[in-house]
Amino acid sequence: MSGRIAGLGDRELVVFTFDDQEVNARQGDTIAMALWAHGQVTVRNSSSEGQPRGVLCNMGICYDCLVVVDGVTVRSCTTLVKPGMTVGRGGKS
Amino acid sequence: MTETADIVVIGGGIIGSSVVYQLAQLLDPSTRIVLCDRGPIAGATSSSCMGHLMVTPGNAQEYALTKTSVDLWRGLHEQLGGFDYNPTGALYLAESEEDIEMVPVLHQQFLDQGDQAEILDQKQLRDLEPGLAHDIPGALFYAGDGVVLPMLAAGAMLRGAQQRNPNVVVRPNCAVTGFQRDGDRIAAVVTEKSVIQTNTVVNACGVWTPGIGEMLGQPRVPIYPRAGNLAITGHHVSPIRTQLLEISYLRFAHAASDVDPTQTDRDAGGHAVNMQPQTNGGCLIGSTRQFRGMSKQVNRELLKRSLLRAHRYVPGVAQAPIIRSWVGLRPYSIDNHPLIGPWDPVPGFWIAAGHEGLGISMAPITGLLIAQQIAGITPSIDPTPYLPGRFAL
Amino acid sequence: MSGADLTQLDTVLEADVGIVGAGPGGMAAAARLAAAGVRVVVLDEGQRAGGQIYRQLPVGMHNHGVVQEPPSHDDGHNLIQSFEGHAKDGGEIELVRGATVWDAQPGRLWFEHDGVSRLLRCGHIVLAPGAYDRCIPFPGWTLPGVVTAGALQVMVRGFGVVPGKRALVVGSGPLLLPTVTSLLGAGVEVVAALEASSRMRALRAVPAVAFHAARRREAMWYMKQLWRNSVKLQWGWTVFACEGDGRVERAIIGKVDAHGRPRKGTERTIECDVVGAGFGLVPSIEVGMRLGADTHMLPVRGGHCLVVDGEQRTAVATVFAVGETCGIGGAEVASAEGELAAAAILRELRGTTVASAVVSRARAERRAADSMLGAFAPLPGLHDLARPDTIVCRCEDITRLRAQEAAAMHGDSMRAIKIGCRAGMGPCQARICGPSLQAMATGVNACAMDVPVVQVPLKPVSSETILTAPQ
Repeated sequence: MSGRIAGLGDRELVVFTFDDQEVNARQGDTIAMALWAHGQVTVRNSSSEGQPRGVLCNMGICYDCLVVVDGVTVRSCTTLVKPGMTVGRGGKS
Repeated sequence: MTETADIVVIGGGIIGSSVVYQLAQLLDPSTRIVLCDRGPIAGATSSSCMGHLMVTPGNAQEYALTKTSVDLWRGLHEQLGGFDYNPTGALYLAESEEDIEMVPVLHQQFLDQGDQAEILDQKQLRDLEPGLAHDIPGALFYAGDGVVLPMLAAGAMLRGAQQRNPNVVVRPNCAVTGFQRDGDRIAAVVTEKSVIQTNTVVNACGVWTPGIGEMLGQPRVPIYPRAGNLAITGHHVSPIRTQLLEISYLRFAHAASDVDPTQTDRDAGGHAVNMQPQTNGGCLIGSTRQFRGMSKQVNRELLKRSLLRAHRYVPGVAQAPIIRSWVGLRPYSIDNHPLIGPWDPVPGFWIAAGHEGLGISMAPITGLLIAQQIAGITPSIDPTPYLPGRFAL
Repeated sequence: MSGADLTQLDTVLEADVGIVGAGPGGMAAAARLAAAGVRVVVLDEGQRAGGQIYRQLPVGMHNHGVVQEPPSHDDGHNLIQSFEGHAKDGGEIELVRGATVWDAQPGRLWFEHDGVSRLLRCGHIVLAPGAYDRCIPFPGWTLPGVVTAGALQVMVRGFGVVPGKRALVVGSGPLLLPTVTSLLGAGVEVVAALEASSRMRALRAVPAVAFHAARRREAMWYMKQLWRNSVKLQWGWTVFACEGDGRVERAIIGKVDAHGRPRKGTERTIECDVVGAGFGLVPSIEVGMRLGADTHMLPVRGGHCLVVDGEQRTAVATVFAVGETCGIGGAEVASAEGELAAAAILRELRGTTVASAVVSRARAERRAADSMLGAFAPLPGLHDLARPDTIVCRCEDITRLRAQEAAAMHGDSMRAIKIGCRAGMGPCQARICGPSLQAMATGVNACAMDVPVVQVPLKPVSSETILTAPQ
């Protein structure tokens, strides 16, 4: 069960969609962290077998958390959320 | 250590692997065949090239060679598996109204060989490949071409050879350092790891082929490295499913160069884009052609020209991540035909090299022609135009 | 300002010194250079200065002591304060956030920034790109919810995100402790903390910690935190497998022998919804190699490292390297070496001398780190955790069996494995699977035979970025 640590201060709400579900994020979140806090740990289907994958390194090294933002493949752990962005699962469709 | 072999194949690229595979098919399973490579199997040009299976219809001779070989690839994939084989067909794209005149010319060439191809107009093209730029006026679609992953295919052929003949020995990381002679004939191959007594040697060393001949005191066969800059995208981003070639590619690729390969400094480099969809949804983008010795340094300006052309035809690729760029060295033979057959001045010494950009396409037929001639079987196609003897001094 | 001027400003940056990485090494070098009036541009892939070790929360959030921090983080706060003081408007430091460096030449660093292709032109370069977690494949390590130890730190300290309800921490080396305390700070139950090294082996680190005041204080602090929360570090234990339906739900843990090999019959199942694995760190050396720096293999420091002289200079006269890229050593080493590199550059730019105290501090910190980390050098037997059907290359979905078959046919080297089955050819460019492929090729961990190959782009960037790269 994931979520956010209480008492660290609040930031502006940023709403985006992931695979057609609405996600409430905060200004300054990466896509990966917004999804994790939302309880969504799977973000990609692996390239050949289509197995569920999520964050591994969380620092831009492993490319396991790739997602598709408005048609472009990006690392969800280094890409910041923007209001209204459309995010889809990366990898094999 | 001294050992014996019936045949030693030098060079574990796609050509050497195919030679070993075909020898194992045609000769008795007791035949001892040793393959040596100074590095990993398929570690040089075969793992730094594109994987196109391309039928060239320009003349009957080359058509027979490429068509027979590309057909053999289908059979290899059915028998062996274990490597990516995608019969995507090829689209020869016209960029402008000027280029479009070349479409019926190429079409006629396929018809002249008794083959078929399809002329597509702008709309048909968009229906086939929605990712193409909308202003591409037309193209020729040839269904017989495809894409393979050469390094996996080399491994699959060697596994297939070993299954049929347990006496096939594959020895990577084992450089050949010299030869022993018995009169004119070869008596042994000297490697880093052993002396292999043998009377039959196949030199399949691609761009390093001339150096092996020199170890025998032979003049350099005229094979020169012709560099190609390549780039590959990440997975599942390719906007295309068919192999794409600029129709002007035919002017640069697989045609004799008017540049003197020994004068490398003046070569500005030819380029025409070739894009190959991969099994994992990636896209391989090539390629350039340049004589500049053995350097494997990426030429960023030439790479940019390829990418520019790629964006021109497939705008969506501009946002695709590029994960790697590199240079492969094609073994260009000075008369633009491969060398396949015996090297007469040294009895027992064979050459299978000099395929330039068509080594993957031509690997199966090259292996078959060498194996048939060594086994004394009538070759599937006339080998005369490819006999290395044409360069013997 | 006209549009054309704006574009020019946007794409090409100029500086006296370009620094890659805003962790302790990069910050220390930048702050010292800036204090002497040298104009510095720092490129970092993150959004705030601090690096992985001193990760800051996003703007607008403050820790307020919610997540307890070890005493060494006071140094971090001071360093950040000094760095950010110079990085304000009109200051000598410009920090470019979210910058991915993809190509480099002496005096030139090409980077992608918010989708734009940019170039930093500079006189000197200081490389402080840091390190990343060493991954050891085990069955189930690809399940969502199984992450690196570093990933958990980023979650908690970098974003204030709660990783899960019940966490298992596994691996080897000093970084397991901050991982555990971060989880505790986030209110996560740490169901077990498993250190693969035996207690006997780890005792070799004791002198290096005992005689180093800061490290001693740090160790005491961690021990107190663990004790207070009733978390016991289990020596000689590790994870054998993770299981779950679509994400991790449980782990099989067990004992390992002195070489790290799993011991049959010691297995236990433990329920958890997040697993953090940290088997040490691997130096990030790609930018340095591309610039022409030499490398050497130092297993104690995590593998292939850049070679530098006594003042942190690489084989290229204008390129310096500090911290983890020269071998894993920690934040104290990085900041000391950052200061040393800055002092050496200032001698060239300003004619000032390099104080001997600066030199000796860098040397002493490096020595202390080497002797401590020797006790946690990678255990080769851990590579036996992967079964034949365990995926080793996550980018290409390549199993251990396929990698071994490739090694058998194509040649006994990491390069041969890559060629023979495509392992390591995906977007991470073997950063994740590299250590296990190397181990597979030679049977020993971190083999010296295979110097990694660098190819451009050093990290994936868009085709457009390469095409529009300024010169």
